[in-house]
Amino acid sequence: MSDGILVAKLDDIPEGEGIALDKSVTGTVDNIALLRDEDGSVWALDDTCTHETASLANGWVEDGHVECPMHASKFCLKNGEVQGLPATKNTCPHRVEVRDGDVWLYPNEAP
Amino acid sequence: MTSTIEPTTAPTSPRGTSGHATETPQGALDRPVELQRTLDVSGLVDSDGGLIDRAVFTDAEVYQQELRRVFAPSWLFLAHTDQFKKPGDFFATFMGEDPVLVTLTRERKLKAFLNSCRHRGARVCRADFGQTRNFTCSYHGWSYDLDGNLVSVPNESGYPESFAREQWGLVEVPHIETYNGLVFATWNPAPVPLRESLGNMAYYMDAMLDHDDEGTEVIGGVHKWVLEGNWKLAAEQFATDWYHVNMSHGSALMVMSPTGKGPRDEIVHRTGRQYVDPNGHGAGFPVHPKNRFDAKTVHDHIDYTALRERLGDARVEGPLTNGHATVFPNFSYLPVNGSIRIWHPKGPDRMEVWAWTVVDKSWPEEVKQAQRLYNLRTFGPSGIFEQDDGENWSECQAIAHGFITNGVALNYQMGLGSERHDGRHPGTTSELYSDAAGRSFYARWRTLMNTPAWHEGDTR
Repeated sequence: MSDGILVAKLDDIPEGEGIALDKSVTGTVDNIALLRDEDGSVWALDDTCTHETASLANGWVEDGHVECPMHASKFCLKNGEVQGLPATKNTCPHRVEVRDGDVWLYPNEAP
Repeated sequence: MTSTIEPTTAPTSPRGTSGHATETPQGALDRPVELQRTLDVSGLVDSDGGLIDRAVFTDAEVYQQELRRVFAPSWLFLAHTDQFKKPGDFFATFMGEDPVLVTLTRERKLKAFLNSCRHRGARVCRADFGQTRNFTCSYHGWSYDLDGNLVSVPNESGYPESFAREQWGLVEVPHIETYNGLVFATWNPAPVPLRESLGNMAYYMDAMLDHDDEGTEVIGGVHKWVLEGNWKLAAEQFATDWYHVNMSHGSALMVMSPTGKGPRDEIVHRTGRQYVDPNGHGAGFPVHPKNRFDAKTVHDHIDYTALRERLGDARVEGPLTNGHATVFPNFSYLPVNGSIRIWHPKGPDRMEVWAWTVVDKSWPEEVKQAQRLYNLRTFGPSGIFEQDDGENWSECQAIAHGFITNGVALNYQMGLGSERHDGRHPGTTSELYSDAAGRSFYARWRTLMNTPAWHEGDTR
């Protein structure tokens, strides 16, 4: 279990969008996409789409999933499961906590 | 102009098909010249005598030559700057028959690209307008960023080592410029600048576009409809034809008059001027000191004194309100109801009309809505005047393919010799009722049709 990292202010992430965290900050293999659903909840997934090289942080976030901006593959925000072609492999989720308007990331910890 | 959008000028090759400053790979391809037969059209237009051969409206080879020599080298209207507020905002339209995407890049530059995937040629964007981060072809998934760069190719490892994504970006339209909120572009790699090509026409356009420092915006979306008829029938009418108004629009004028019997004699028999531009543009307008906007809410809001100070008496008493205009080749507008439109060519016998309503940004919301509704009632797909115009053009086109009919010349002789400097309006003008701007429109058309375009330089 790693310690949480303070990675963003909640207000930094518009609803329905995401921001990319560099792996030098998160200490993870891939960059991490911090994604905010339209209901306000925040989630984290490995940033690189499992289909082709594209940043999920640039994708569209709605209704519990993120849609890749490149080829429209979909991934579940909660568990990283692929939900639509052309991607066929799941991506990796990470635990996130929001406290007092601060977003804390727990890299490599399951949500 | 208050827009923060900056148009760009892209590098280009002489062939003009090289987005992103890279040569378009041609490999062993070598297009035979016989694919593009060229006609000498000088015998189809007698602009001095005022005669037009109907083949200019009906002939398929003339039409193909128009796409190459009239549309490809000319400045063509794309959109209004108001349609691009945030990076990623895009609008899909056509230049001639070529589909193009107009986008606002992350650096807030307006760019235009051929909307055709470099892989198999499908459109990379099938939406009419919207907001995006990439344009991804729905056929195989080649994906392009807002600057047209090819950024993703599924199964890229399957291509040879010589494959370089940098060579396969979207083909960029080399020049895009704006004038008072209107976005124009051209495939011509070395064009006369837009402002210069407008010449004195800009004075007449400003009567609609430059009422104050805030400029204009477009409201109510883009209306699109199909008409059976050659695009030039519409473009020339908006350049040169007040003549049809009392006849064609008689019933509409009667319905809209307070008495139901039609407007007063002095309204029916209006006098005015017609601007005749050497580059084929044209504008006609009745002249009267009390010319006004027709929509009452708009009229009540307008400060005509302030407009006289900004635009001068001649413009307020003429081209500010009633009138018609065409910017060569296929952009037209009507100032009194803020209708701006483009006549997209769709073969010799068909056009698509795309129309916007333009209003002053500074107008209160109820004034904008009043203008929108007035435009909706008079012009556009539900407009009572528009119905008359479309019927005329389709009528002329429907019979023009008859063998005998096609060879019978049409008369464009009204106002022959009337062109002069009138001392009040810039450039050359003729009478309100005149074919002068039409003759100039076809003279410009003939010149372009008989002039090899830049892209013909390196054909075999």
